[in-house]
Amino acid sequence: MAVEIDDKDLKAAGAELFADGGNRGVRIHGWLIESRTHSILNSAAIQEWEHKLDTNHLPEMVFGENTLILKHLSSGTKIHFNAFDALCGWKQEALPPVEVPAAAKWKFRSKPSQQVILDYDYTFTTPYCGSCTVENDKDMLHSDRRYSIFVWQNAKETSEKTSNILWQDCKEQIDLVALASKEPILFYDEVVLYEDELADNGVSLLTVKVRVMPSSWFLLLRFWLRVDGVLIRLRETRMHCVFGGSTNPIILRETCWRESTFEALSAKGYPFDAATYNDPSIISQRLPIIMHRAQKLVISS
Amino acid sequence: MSDLDRQIEQLKKCEPLKESEVKALCLKAMEILVEESNVQRVDAPVTICGDIHGQFYDMKELFKVGGDCPKTNYLFLGDFVDRGFYSVETFLLLLALKVRYPDRITLIRGNHESRQITQVYGFYDECLRKYGSVNVWRYCTDIFDYLSLSALIENRIFSVHGGLSPPISTLDQIRTIDRKQEVPHDGAMCDLLWSDPEDIVDGWSLSPRGAGFLFGGSVVTSFNHSNNIDYICRAHQLVMEGYKWMFNNQIVTVWSAPNYCYRCGNVAAILELDGNLNKQFRVFDAAPQESRGAPAKKPAPDYFL
Repeated sequence: MAVEIDDKDLKAAGAELFADGGNRGVRIHGWLIESRTHSILNSAAIQEWEHKLDTNHLPEMVFGENTLILKHLSSGTKIHFNAFDALCGWKQEALPPVEVPAAAKWKFRSKPSQQVILDYDYTFTTPYCGSCTVENDKDMLHSDRRYSIFVWQNAKETSEKTSNILWQDCKEQIDLVALASKEPILFYDEVVLYEDELADNGVSLLTVKVRVMPSSWFLLLRFWLRVDGVLIRLRETRMHCVFGGSTNPIILRETCWRESTFEALSAKGYPFDAATYNDPSIISQRLPIIMHRAQKLVISS
Repeated sequence: MSDLDRQIEQLKKCEPLKESEVKALCLKAMEILVEESNVQRVDAPVTICGDIHGQFYDMKELFKVGGDCPKTNYLFLGDFVDRGFYSVETFLLLLALKVRYPDRITLIRGNHESRQITQVYGFYDECLRKYGSVNVWRYCTDIFDYLSLSALIENRIFSVHGGLSPPISTLDQIRTIDRKQEVPHDGAMCDLLWSDPEDIVDGWSLSPRGAGFLFGGSVVTSFNHSNNIDYICRAHQLVMEGYKWMFNNQIVTVWSAPNYCYRCGNVAAILELDGNLNKQFRVFDAAPQESRGAPAKKPAPDYFL
């Protein structure tokens, strides 16, 4: 199914693709955009994460090494997405648990004598809208990709600071009309960060997808939650960066949270059954917006 | 070659049966399953398999590793359907083997063998897509009601899809359940198919969802002791390494769907018990990409907004 990327399009855009195992990406207009897809965490890594996050519960499928990285090479500004930071957000937000429909009946069940009630947010809802760092290491200008990946992996140990990253609220909006034009896609990927089946009570899924065109890159980070018969929650962050001659690229970021109960949907005449709500893209318009924010980041070299 | 043998050969090629054949197969299977106990007796040697979830080509890998039925005696712990692309072929092959070799393969019920769950997680849609009607889904879900709830290997190893239940302290209590129904939302039958062991509690705990029990080490110890069994073998939860012991080897989770949902990258395992109940876990990978009809690994570029 994978659509062939036309070499002529790549050349015309001055872009260069690369691939190495689960890592693939593109270099274009001073950006290095890379996705990495690997397996879910093994049991040892899960224990380590639980310890670091101070929790006893993680999503059933944590793609701990999956990441999407967009790095502006000359400034060292790095936008990236990973499960760990997203789960830090989940821990911090710590929403109360959502009861499933069967819970009503369970309240009348005779209880075992000693029973602990767990009350963590099993939906793994996160306010995460991406991670952003600046790596000041001047050697980062080095164009050798292997070297830069090495530095990224050790980013925590090298100089990394977030202080000069300033997302400002703004009036500008992402130009969806321009994005709807069928410009060739030079690079595309979708990276799953974590997923949980809520013990077959729905789905909780955090993914990020990216597409790179000759004129811009665009990405969508989506947290998608469906607790069957109860709640639908969609938290999306979009980022768009138009390539220009300027050395100070601007990234627009729009975050939109939508949410509705099944009850409210059904009151509006929409179906109640969970199977209708498999594809967030299709049903997002039915969900009322509860939060919207537009911001921009001006990258200064 | 009998019709049934021909159907098995056809299913082994991942070709579904005709609707009329499914109906006939289910009727025969019903006659066999209705006679089985809620705690079905199983003799060793036997090979125990966890969740399959419609990953047909990976189940073929399982048979390559574990040997063909009837040469190998199998116990499948449920969750044959949903999630994967070939729930129809997967379940029908297992069911055809059950009808052909009833004493060499035991199928017990998982929480996905239910009308409600299959309507949400894929089996219903797959039947509709492959047959143009929901009749096959009806025949299969009617058969689900007849599947046994658990198995007891040589009176020493208790096998169940999910786990234990607060009102169940003896195997005889399981034997009295009237199982021929849709999986209920609560009660002992529900718990057996749904509950999970949990490290951080000792006794029972209630899931934060408000429904669903979790059980700790002391619950397992006392169940195993009262019923004079060595350990519990269950499925139901994804394990990256294919199997996982808990509570000092009193319960083991076996997971048999490698690269679950075609993207998790986990290995799968089956547990082989010889005539003396010596254990050997056989770990295996997903079928190679070229041998399966699964979609390409990388998603096609899309103009998402």
